[in-house]
Amino acid sequence: MSNTTAVPTPGAFQFPEIYNFPPFFTRQPNESTWQEQRRQWCDLILAYYRHNRLYSLTLAEAITEPPFTNRQIHRSLRVDVLRELVDDLVKQGNASWTGAKNAKDSCLVLWRKPEVWASMIYQWANERGLFNTVLTVFELANGDDTAGQEFHNLDSVTLRRALDVLQSQGKAQLFVGTSDDDMGVKLFA
Amino acid sequence: MRRAVGIGGLRRKEAERLAMSKKGTELSQREIEKLREQIAMMKDNLEDFVREHQRDIRNNPAFRVKVQRMCQLIGVDPLSSRKSYMSELLGVGDFYCELGIQIIDICVATRSINGGLMDLDELLRRLIRRRLKGSEPVVEDDIRRTISQLKPLKGGYKIVCFGKRKMVQSVAREMNSDQAKVMTLAQYTCKFTMEDVRVAFGWDEDRIHSCVDDMLRSGIVWMDEYNEAYPEYWVMAFFSQLNSTLTMANAE
Repeated sequence: MSNTTAVPTPGAFQFPEIYNFPPFFTRQPNESTWQEQRRQWCDLILAYYRHNRLYSLTLAEAITEPPFTNRQIHRSLRVDVLRELVDDLVKQGNASWTGAKNAKDSCLVLWRKPEVWASMIYQWANERGLFNTVLTVFELANGDDTAGQEFHNLDSVTLRRALDVLQSQGKAQLFVGTSDDDMGVKLFA
Repeated sequence: MRRAVGIGGLRRKEAERLAMSKKGTELSQREIEKLREQIAMMKDNLEDFVREHQRDIRNNPAFRVKVQRMCQLIGVDPLSSRKSYMSELLGVGDFYCELGIQIIDICVATRSINGGLMDLDELLRRLIRRRLKGSEPVVEDDIRRTISQLKPLKGGYKIVCFGKRKMVQSVAREMNSDQAKVMTLAQYTCKFTMEDVRVAFGWDEDRIHSCVDDMLRSGIVWMDEYNEAYPEYWVMAFFSQLNSTLTMANAE
């Protein structure tokens, strides 16, 4: 399960068999079929986003592209159905709505929960003896020191979430800079 | 002489009774004794044969099928009783038991997707994929035998056919003849519209709606609203087999 590359996984994404089933793109009227269908969609979204190292989703744009459009069978998911799926992901802690409150038109896809990112960052800092040093958020994400780490090149909003978690756990202190890139963080035991 | 014996305890006892009921001559007594000996010898021979070829029976499905047919002709069904000496001898009690569990497992896991209806070939494909390398190979005949063993279970396991399609049903449900007709209509294309049904059978709208609603409710059919005016209804069990064949072909 551990993938030490910080770039999209090589090789094409393997879609599940049901992805070529046209009705998969219609919200099913049968409740128990729909339950199964939504579960499969949620798994697919997380797997696809993880594979391609994608972090955010704007609903209106996303439905015209894979995975929500399957060009081979000429089917697309409707935006209201996608909204329901994102709500499911939010409920399980794998997404959060961004943008205007209650607009539900864009979100973060947390295929790895912020808590898990947080513990990876913390562990790396521990191993490198970097406690009680101020680091910029920029060098944490993009610096040479983190090359090869899972969180290298991590999307800035997601990274910020992870650091917020550490702060709330009392393991880090964030310092506001003039911009997000200037932001500093100090981690401690 | 051997063929006339037609082993089955029943026939033997009948022969005995008939023979005894006549004021038997010594000759008849001797004949009965001979029969008894021959039956005992056949049983011994069969036991020896099976014991010697146990490994082949387990590992070679074609051979296994032949041995079982032979047993059936002789009048011994190795699966009819778990305690029977034949099932212990053949060592197949475990094999079918394990297969039964695997089949139930696969059917239960896919029920919410296909409404408890699966193509027989697809079930075979999944079983083969699932079974560990080195375990005994499985063929369609094994599935059929196992399913007939599963009949007493509440699940209602049985094989149903729609035209040329052989399916395993794992839900206790009586499909009415309207639904069966529509299933047969869709067997090659995997799908149908209400218009297709009207054209094929001439039913009125209410009857068609009722049939399609039942099929949707039972979970064997999914709806595709791509064309909102003429939604298509797809039989998941038919599609799965088609798709897996395509997927496997593309992978190679």
